[in-house]
Amino acid sequence: MRLVSLLCILVVGISQCLAEKRILALLENLAVKETHSIFFSMLNRHGFSVTYKVADDSTLQIKKYGEFVYDHIVVFAPTVEEFGGSLNADMITEFIDNGGNILITGNSNTGEVLREIASECGFEVDEEGTNVIDHLNFDAKDTGHHTLVVADPKDFIKSELITGGVKSPLLYRGTGILADPGNPLVLEVLTGSSTSYSANPEQPIKEYPHAVGKNTVLIAGLQARNNARVIFSGSLEFFSDEFFNAEVAKGNGKAVAAGNAEFAEALTLWCFKERGVLRVDSINHHLVGETSPPDFYTIRENVEFEINVVEKKDGSWVPFKGQDVQVEFVRIDPFVRATMKNVNGRVSAQFKIPDVYGVYQFKVNYLRLGLTRIQTSTQVSVRPLRHDQYERFISSAYPYYASAFSMMGGVFLFAIVFLYYKEDEGKKKAE
Amino acid sequence: MSGSVVPVLGRFSVEKQESLLKLSILSISVVLAFSTRLFSVLRFESVIHEFDPYFNYRTTRFLAENGFYSFHNWFDDRAWYPLGRIIGGTIYPGLMVTASTIYHFLNSLNITLDVREVCVFLAPLFSSLTAIMTYLLTSELHSVGAGLCAAGMIAIVPGYISRSVAGSYDNEGIAIFCMLFTYYLWIKSVKTGNIYWAALCSVAYFYMVSSWGGYVFLINIIPLHVLVLMICGRFSHKTYIAYSTVYTLGTLLSMQISFVGFQPVQTSEHMLALGVFGLCQILAFVEYLRANMTQENFNVLFKSLIIIISGIIGVGLGVLTLSGKVAPWTGRFYSLLDPSYAKNNIPIIASVSEHQPTSWSSFYFDLQILTFLFPAGLYYCFSKLTDHNIFIILYGVFAVYFAGVMVRLMLVLAPVMCILSGIAVSSSLSTYMKYLDSSNQQTKSTSKVGKIKQDSSSNTQKEGIAYIFVGMITFFLISYTFHCTWVTSEAYSSPSIVLSARSHDGSRIIFDDFREAYWWLRMNTPEDAKVMSWWDYGYQITAMANRTIIVDNNTWNNTHISRVGQAMASTEDKAYEIMRELDVNYVLVIFGGLTGYSSDDINKFLWMVRIGGSTPEGAHIKEWDYYTPSGEFRVDSEGSQTLLNCMMYKMCYYRFGQVYTEGGKPPGYDRVRNAEIGVKDFELDVLEEAYTSEHWIVRIYKVKDLPNRGSR
Repeated sequence: MRLVSLLCILVVGISQCLAEKRILALLENLAVKETHSIFFSMLNRHGFSVTYKVADDSTLQIKKYGEFVYDHIVVFAPTVEEFGGSLNADMITEFIDNGGNILITGNSNTGEVLREIASECGFEVDEEGTNVIDHLNFDAKDTGHHTLVVADPKDFIKSELITGGVKSPLLYRGTGILADPGNPLVLEVLTGSSTSYSANPEQPIKEYPHAVGKNTVLIAGLQARNNARVIFSGSLEFFSDEFFNAEVAKGNGKAVAAGNAEFAEALTLWCFKERGVLRVDSINHHLVGETSPPDFYTIRENVEFEINVVEKKDGSWVPFKGQDVQVEFVRIDPFVRATMKNVNGRVSAQFKIPDVYGVYQFKVNYLRLGLTRIQTSTQVSVRPLRHDQYERFISSAYPYYASAFSMMGGVFLFAIVFLYYKEDEGKKKAE
Repeated sequence: MSGSVVPVLGRFSVEKQESLLKLSILSISVVLAFSTRLFSVLRFESVIHEFDPYFNYRTTRFLAENGFYSFHNWFDDRAWYPLGRIIGGTIYPGLMVTASTIYHFLNSLNITLDVREVCVFLAPLFSSLTAIMTYLLTSELHSVGAGLCAAGMIAIVPGYISRSVAGSYDNEGIAIFCMLFTYYLWIKSVKTGNIYWAALCSVAYFYMVSSWGGYVFLINIIPLHVLVLMICGRFSHKTYIAYSTVYTLGTLLSMQISFVGFQPVQTSEHMLALGVFGLCQILAFVEYLRANMTQENFNVLFKSLIIIISGIIGVGLGVLTLSGKVAPWTGRFYSLLDPSYAKNNIPIIASVSEHQPTSWSSFYFDLQILTFLFPAGLYYCFSKLTDHNIFIILYGVFAVYFAGVMVRLMLVLAPVMCILSGIAVSSSLSTYMKYLDSSNQQTKSTSKVGKIKQDSSSNTQKEGIAYIFVGMITFFLISYTFHCTWVTSEAYSSPSIVLSARSHDGSRIIFDDFREAYWWLRMNTPEDAKVMSWWDYGYQITAMANRTIIVDNNTWNNTHISRVGQAMASTEDKAYEIMRELDVNYVLVIFGGLTGYSSDDINKFLWMVRIGGSTPEGAHIKEWDYYTPSGEFRVDSEGSQTLLNCMMYKMCYYRFGQVYTEGGKPPGYDRVRNAEIGVKDFELDVLEEAYTSEHWIVRIYKVKDLPNRGSR
């Protein structure tokens, strides 16, 4: 009996473990699986279970009985105009809004459905036929259009969590992406150099290109408010075996191994939430010296607020190390803002509640590049003093106490005199 | 039965008959006072009415359940989010304490009534007590006959019923009783000059202070009485003892109510009482000196004293007022003196309909025949001027003035109208009844034969006049009774939480939308959801839906209300910022366009605009933007664009453009404004419709979160 239940727990545990690692790979055609075998074997190595489907497969389905059956989606089908089955752009955005992560690649002929998804996520893929061109930073193997661009590490996003700390240049051939400047959630993971631009290499340029210089985004990312992550790469070849194994030689420079493999691995793991993921295990607040939260606080009390934060590293949860988490004590405006001390993942701060009663919130809004956002708010009410919590005797009021008591004494004496002292001439009314 | 009563009555002595008659008249008045207020319970059900009573009900339940100390220290985090409200320190607890005492008393007798039932029937109960108190007061002032007359009148006077029907569980319900009780004891103490009565009077005053903010009227009318007595030269030791005791004890006691606090010694409303108290002492001292000094010495001393004392008082008051220790004249006070003050300066005070000046018709509507009997009563008081008659004259005159300033003060006027009318009716009737009586006695008595013979011819004439007069008064009183019953049944017995209307075929339709929607909120929203609505509905939402609200009927924070007004009057984007700032989850609006319920949010909207624009943050909201160029407030296609794009408009008229409301009219026809709405097809960006009640009276919207994948 016990064994069975243990087994059950084990099975449930495993399936839960797997439950976060189901990938649907949508391919242009099955050949992509071969040309990108290093990438897929990397996924398998990290414990993902990948289901391969051709993008226009008519049995395509990601939602069953109201639940999504995959956790992540890889779209290696740049030119697909419409997905097969029930899958469409709306379904994909719903997938993202439910916390699913997605890695999409385009190329110079990016299909309509991918453009639609991209624009839902705050970036725009440049027109059909356009390529990123850089006349100064191109690889020696380039065929003359200067479309095989070399991306320099200085153009990576400044977050090792996303880039994996890659130091070598990357090879890229594909379309440029424009990021929506009004969307604060978009990340420009990899941009072109300042000499790059996006245009159709076959045709003479008549109009000013849509994307020029640093604005040409090669790989764009988005971390939604629910922490779902989206990566859109303008180049499918970026992830190919060919680029993974290639050597880069800029101009007549020395050839070095391309960093694509390493970069793609880091990026993919970031996108599929294997890196840069924070989780709040517990939130607690209490008076200094106590352990459990009271029903309410009173003004001017000393309070301690703590959260336990863990970070996902190499597949396991370890205490978070960041020292810059702040807590705010908010009632419309923050009344207190304190940087919390981090002791082995237990992040805490002590402060004194302001002398203003009301309904407050402990708010932590921790947003760092590459990390999932921590956003918690815990509502507490802060009361004024009870009627018996005020000072009983105020020292500055002693003169008044004295006058009151002397008056009482005086009236008492006067009453005695008035009532019992008899004058000879008879009674006389006072006043 | 009735046959046997007459001989039994006949066997009683005259005093016994009289007291039996008194008792039966009084008890009939008491029963009448109670039962005439039950229309709403019989017609609808035993519910709490209106807005404020819901708050009182909620606090009473809290008090009954948690005891006085937790009530006294109650910090309510469900109201005025996120400011909260210290309930214990911002209410007059008399009503709640009374109700919960009755509740506990009944329960200790194993009469298990719900708190709500106690609350519903408290006002009728106290109205009955008021009838008794009016009898006592009037008998003390004039005569027993006048007292019985006044008791009968106050039992059914609509001006008082409007605030005290069953279910109208508000401070005024018990405050009128407290007020008359205090007056009664005051008259007693002035008459007797007894510290005992004066002390009782100050205890009654304490009860009055604990139950209604209108005690300010009382603490001004009593000193005024004393002042007038001084001026008339009627000031005596009796008055001195009565006033000095009442003022000192009463002030000390009233300061124990934490909402009143130090106001009795700081604010200008109470300064008359303090000044008169000082004057009393001076006058008494002067009398004492005069009795013990020669005339010349006294004159010198008197003059110098007057100059010195008035100088000290003037300088002291000036310094205190300038330093802010003495609260400057507050807006409520000014609005009493100058009816247009509040309207021009404080929109939040002006927006309350019961703070509006009274129209002439409502005097007749609320008081009917009393309006005409009142001057007669004044005449009878003047004709036999006594210390206590001066009091009732003063009370009457000032109450008439204040009732003219503010509709709600009609309540203070109603009792004095009844008292004076009672005096008038009783005096005039007894004048004329004499002739009717004497005609009977004429045949029996033979002692004054000579005189009667002389007058016999004129006597029959007088008798005729007397008959006509008595008949007329009877007719007036009967018509008064019918009028009162009609007004009570038609105007003052609707609970306003349940609406009723007549359909085309004459049958009654009940709109129970409020409770339906509040119940929906209670059952379908998270426990800590914050609901934003205009402040009128705040108390009801906290009491019935048990959800946190942003503003409520206790309009203590103008800025906060203004913020809500701004949200309602702004475009969706601006409103969204405000709603995010206030953590609003749901927005509730009242809309009458479908049913023709006219006191809905669109009709109140101009007040939201005015109040919203009255603070610096809302400076961009200007009332004129919401009018058409010709200065009209219209919701149809000619309405101003600002109005047609504001949140309130969108929330009220969302999806309304597809609804047919009246035959022969286009869809989206608003039955309150009698107009086809201007914008019909629009979508809401930051809100989604969460619930709309059956007759569309209450509409609830959910505030959307920030979009998941970027900014709006």
